[in-house]
Amino acid sequence: MGDTLDTRWFDPARLNLLVGLFVFIAFLAINIRRAHGSRDGLFIRPLAGLKALDEAIGRATEMGRPVLFVPGIGDLSEVGTLAAITISSRVARRVAELGCDLRIPCYDPVVAALVDGTTREAYREANRGDSFRPGSVYYVSATQFAYVASVTGTMLRDRPATNIFMGSFYAESLFLAETGNLTGAIQIAGCDQVTQLPFFVCACDYTLLGEELYAASAYLGREPVQLATIAAQDWAKALAAGMVVLAIILSALGHPWLGRLLQTS
Amino acid sequence: MRFGPLVVTFLTGATLIAIFFIPHRAAQQTQSVILEWADVVYAFALLLGSISLWLAHQKKVQQRGEGWLYSAVTLTALAGVTFLGVTQGVGGDTIVGKIYDSVNAPLASTMFSLLAFFIASAAFRAFRARNVEATLLLVTAVVMMVGRVSIGEFIWKGFPPLTEWLLDVPNLAAKRAVAIGVGLGAISTALKIILGIDRSYLGRS
Repeated sequence: MGDTLDTRWFDPARLNLLVGLFVFIAFLAINIRRAHGSRDGLFIRPLAGLKALDEAIGRATEMGRPVLFVPGIGDLSEVGTLAAITISSRVARRVAELGCDLRIPCYDPVVAALVDGTTREAYREANRGDSFRPGSVYYVSATQFAYVASVTGTMLRDRPATNIFMGSFYAESLFLAETGNLTGAIQIAGCDQVTQLPFFVCACDYTLLGEELYAASAYLGREPVQLATIAAQDWAKALAAGMVVLAIILSALGHPWLGRLLQTS
Repeated sequence: MRFGPLVVTFLTGATLIAIFFIPHRAAQQTQSVILEWADVVYAFALLLGSISLWLAHQKKVQQRGEGWLYSAVTLTALAGVTFLGVTQGVGGDTIVGKIYDSVNAPLASTMFSLLAFFIASAAFRAFRARNVEATLLLVTAVVMMVGRVSIGEFIWKGFPPLTEWLLDVPNLAAKRAVAIGVGLGAISTALKIILGIDRSYLGRS
């Protein structure tokens, strides 16, 4: 938090961030317009992990075993957790359509309450509201390794055919992914923590890397407006990369002003 | 259409974004109040979560389902620690504090120590030279492991600087590329939710 005696109504050191935000919103508006105007919709690169999701849920249904969805150990202040909630809703809908069993153990009680609501709604949307089993979304513990013990115990006892790890993960990532690997489950992971990605890559069949986790919800929904947000993100990434390269060239030529302009407080 | 939650989400999100750019004390105080509300919501959710936990394990004990004894232990611990916490308080010198230090902390440390074995088994699988990429990973891992221990320098003086280069150049470049993508993705996801483009958190796709 800033200085509590501050009387300024704007922090000039954050002007570059404000401009960046408006540029991003402009990209978003342009791409939403493009998406509405396009007959075939916007193209987005296929993500192998998400293409395999249907197959993995189908496999669990055929084997008569549950699907385990782990939404990470982040709270609602983490964007990865928000992405996990939206993906869980899509997964729950597909699980409901196929008539499979779903387990969602939660680390955070607020996340548990929210996921419980979205899962119920997903079952209703699939016209399978009566199939929703109260208790399939449950709060475990807000202690990291107690949560790990419970989830790995579920994997070993109930032998889910498909494990889906989406959200923010820390030291528990390898415990969960490696235990799931030992049980022979198909495993799909998505994580925005750079330090945990190698563990998921080693132990899972498919891994969504970083920003792909955020794109997953839009990818699964296929709604034009949602796809437009991914296109806007790509435009912003291209702009950021271009500006970084330009800043490096200008700095090498003795003009460091662009590099300074990109610095944040 | 759930108009109410969308309006609340938009107003809260837009307010917090605006506060990020406003250092004025009134804005900062508003942010503190909003964060306090979040704590209150968390407290109620924790109560809901505890009730859900209790009901799930109670059912398992009543039905004598597989592993019901573990559920009985969970119920006993939940009831016991809650009772002691409410009647005798929490903190380092209380019974709850002692239970935490002598039961919870050692159990967590034990779990954490198992990580070494999981790393070994995952590394064994990942470091098989099946193709060019896996071979590159294997060679890099060997250089890193040898270069980070003192015998590495004894074998070849170039190992430690090579490991530093691997960490500071290719590794850092890849990490920064992922970090830029994650940063933009986070902004995009936040805007999708604030602007009501993504409503799946309300249970509506």
